[in-house]
Amino acid sequence: MVRFKNRWLLVEFIPVLQGHAQLGKSTFGNGSLLDGKAIWASLKQSVLTNFGDTGWGAVGLSLTVKYFSPTTNICIIRVARDQHNVAWGALTLLSIIDGVRYIPNVVHVSGTIKHAQLSAISHNREVIARYRALAKNSDYDDIYDTYLDNSEREIESLQD
Amino acid sequence: MFFDLNVPIKKTQQRANASKKGKQPQQEIPASWTPSEISDLESRIDLLIHLGYSVIGLSQTVHKKVDPKTHVNVLDSLLGRLQTRPGIVFLKRLNIVLDSESEKGFGLINANVALFNGYDLIALVPTTHNTLSLACLTHSMPTPLTAHIISLPLTLPRLPYHLKHTLIRTALKNGAVFEINYVGALGGENDPVLVDANVAESGASAKRNWWASTRELVRVTKGKGLIVSGGVIAEADLRSPRDIGNIISLLGLSQDAAHDALTKTPKSLIIRAETRKTYRAVLSEPKVVFPPHMEPMGLPTPQDTTEVNTLKRAREDNSLTVLPPSTSAAKKKKRKPNKEVA
Repeated sequence: MVRFKNRWLLVEFIPVLQGHAQLGKSTFGNGSLLDGKAIWASLKQSVLTNFGDTGWGAVGLSLTVKYFSPTTNICIIRVARDQHNVAWGALTLLSIIDGVRYIPNVVHVSGTIKHAQLSAISHNREVIARYRALAKNSDYDDIYDTYLDNSEREIESLQD
Repeated sequence: MFFDLNVPIKKTQQRANASKKGKQPQQEIPASWTPSEISDLESRIDLLIHLGYSVIGLSQTVHKKVDPKTHVNVLDSLLGRLQTRPGIVFLKRLNIVLDSESEKGFGLINANVALFNGYDLIALVPTTHNTLSLACLTHSMPTPLTAHIISLPLTLPRLPYHLKHTLIRTALKNGAVFEINYVGALGGENDPVLVDANVAESGASAKRNWWASTRELVRVTKGKGLIVSGGVIAEADLRSPRDIGNIISLLGLSQDAAHDALTKTPKSLIIRAETRKTYRAVLSEPKVVFPPHMEPMGLPTPQDTTEVNTLKRAREDNSLTVLPPSTSAAKKKKRKPNKEVA
């Protein structure tokens, strides 16, 4: 009856290096510098600067970063439903994490974790397909396949 | 289908003819684009498509007035150089920044129609109260020179004029649209021409001004007739359309009005802008259809019209002895249904 309703935001962070967005450039080898904690910290900072202490009070307790993949820069964030606009707005206005500029692109918003998982898996597939198309090299297939399987397992195992 | 109708293109022109004699006709110097500029633009378009935009408006900004002798449409040559992408539409747009010097006239006159036909959309950026009334009242009337987009300078510390409800309403009724550039919300860089003209600012204070002015604009227009577009110079400031829709709904606009501002309103704006090429916003070319018993070649001769038009008179007035066969057939047809009914 009085359930806590949430919104699950699926966000992709596109890095922008030297004024050019790095779409499709694989960070597979070196791994990106982001991680879940850094995202949470900068999101908190963004909410505080744009919406003040009241904004953080509305959103802060329920804001969690549930999943992050350094390869495809996908992040799943859970927020309470009533104030998810505030968190989403702060996410859009976010531009720098740890000194590197990013473009946050919210791919999917859903009320249950199930659809967020499905959307994350299909987005991963698209991104890997883009990497493969760019690489034009069949050697990479093995690495990507195992990566896809692992990430699917990780995503499926997400708990509420 | 999402629209980004303001992707600023900046191109400095070198003039071969540096003489000050304004009356000499300038040679049309086609804009030359270096490969690095083209590749920059291509990567930006790739990013826009990745974020979900499918209609992209490339825009050129002019300060104060449009001089037909020196103005070069840089976008024509650019469109030819871009890769063709299926399913993506490119539009050309001209932004004219109006300030107090432009109150007397800034080149949007009938003589220059040929110049403006090279652009799909025309936008005005008024900075004084007089230019705002000019933009809302005179230039939103349906003519070949209608400026369909009115773009207010939202990052200035104080909006230079009070937004009067009646002015705005007239403009909306005439079909004009007010534009919100979301780059101000991020405090990102604005078009250098705008910054030079003191129409836009960048940075932290710009953000505060943007929120205040945009909220006021949304209040006065009551959410109708608004479009949202980029105005983004640095690639890092681009955002996907649903993100922007969320930001706009934080301004007090309802969610469906915000979604309309991203989809329905720009779509009808583009179709309306095409009517610049027609006469006074009549959308289709009227085609005269002649009834079958009239002369197929050219206009009917005066004799025929009098015969045909006076069908009733022919029945009443029996003095007409020579009737063309078509009218008697028509008369017979008229009588038949009466007999059948009876």
